[in-house]
Amino acid sequence: MTDWQALQQKSFYEATARERANGIVDAASFTELAGPRDRMSSPHLPALGEAIEFDDGVVTGVGRVGKHPVFVISQEGRFIGGAVGEVHGAKMVGIFQLAQQAYAQLAAKGADSLAERLPAVVISFETGGVRLHEANAGLLAHAEVMDQIQNARGKFPVIALIGSKIGCFGGMGFVAAATDLIIMSELGRLGLTGPEVIEQEMGREEFNASDKALVYRTTGGKHKYIMRDCNQLVEDSIGAFRTALASALQQPYAEIARCRRIGSEALVDEQLALAELSCEIQPQDARDVWAYFGNADAAAIPEQTTADFLRTVRRRP
Amino acid sequence: MALQELHYTFRATEPQPFPLGWSHSGVVGSGDMEVMFERCMLDGEIRFKVVTPVRGFERVWEQVLGRFVNETNLADVSVEINDNNATPVVVLMRLRQALKEARKEAEG
Repeated sequence: MTDWQALQQKSFYEATARERANGIVDAASFTELAGPRDRMSSPHLPALGEAIEFDDGVVTGVGRVGKHPVFVISQEGRFIGGAVGEVHGAKMVGIFQLAQQAYAQLAAKGADSLAERLPAVVISFETGGVRLHEANAGLLAHAEVMDQIQNARGKFPVIALIGSKIGCFGGMGFVAAATDLIIMSELGRLGLTGPEVIEQEMGREEFNASDKALVYRTTGGKHKYIMRDCNQLVEDSIGAFRTALASALQQPYAEIARCRRIGSEALVDEQLALAELSCEIQPQDARDVWAYFGNADAAAIPEQTTADFLRTVRRRP
Repeated sequence: MALQELHYTFRATEPQPFPLGWSHSGVVGSGDMEVMFERCMLDGEIRFKVVTPVRGFERVWEQVLGRFVNETNLADVSVEINDNNATPVVVLMRLRQALKEARKEAEG
């Protein structure tokens, strides 16, 4: 396995799912579960003549961050665009179940021990959502993961890391939105309907998916950070993601849960007010929204380094 | 058409053991492959199982894998490849890479 120290410097954007899984937890603490040797590949793809992967496109396991057991799900975008099929989804659910077990064991030891060693589920998303070859099983997998996130509420944090090539779209965009905390890099992209699907359905005039700058302005990390759809923006390295994760886990659970962007009546009101605002200001481009929130030189934002951006940016109040 | 499974067996001239109990490397991206080596007693043979969507290249696989065996002399190891349209050059490169990584890990 690749040297952990070297992984810290590596681009999160370019890293494989296995590299991310190993690098986002403490050195040499990651143990892969249901790994390649278990050969849990898709039972559906061979009949369709589609290539299979031993891990069905997702690396799952457990590691440590400080005293916290961290249950890791890391998706591989290079395998069918990180799309979620039956086995891939079942592996995700399995990780949540293990986290629930760890939570129950620690809770039985008392509140102090639990707070000190509270488990967490961390998902490194790289996916376009449902694997269409396994449509129903893939959709069901999304529902099951969503269920697991709800079961975890009030118990332990579920944290999303988004900074890989494919981004996080489709059904998994909903899943990411339902987590407690979202950490992104500016190269990360998050959305529901992916750019190419919008273009296909609504036409090129509505959204030109080959205009990369437009895609990043609309779905990229900086925009999501301004809009508060993501909580933290970090540099593009595995180490930067790990540092942000480690400092988040030092917070008490209630603090992490306060980062949720959906899931309460107050937050629904906030989102609805935002929809009203969008009707009122009729933005033609993400830059209009940035300017509205007080970023005078909105056009310069895409060119800024992450550090400069974080120093000067004005976010949605 | 369904995925195709190909099996090959070779015997090295000067048998060398695989440096680890097992190893895995690669990602089944488009034009790429993953490979898993597992050491096992095969009376000096090396066995390959290739799972690929491409048909009609049985002979090419045999040549590429045979070349890898000739240059490495690996024996008593089972090799499984999940392929997604990797070219012969990529296959040979991935196999060499995987062995290099395994040797590095065995030393390290």
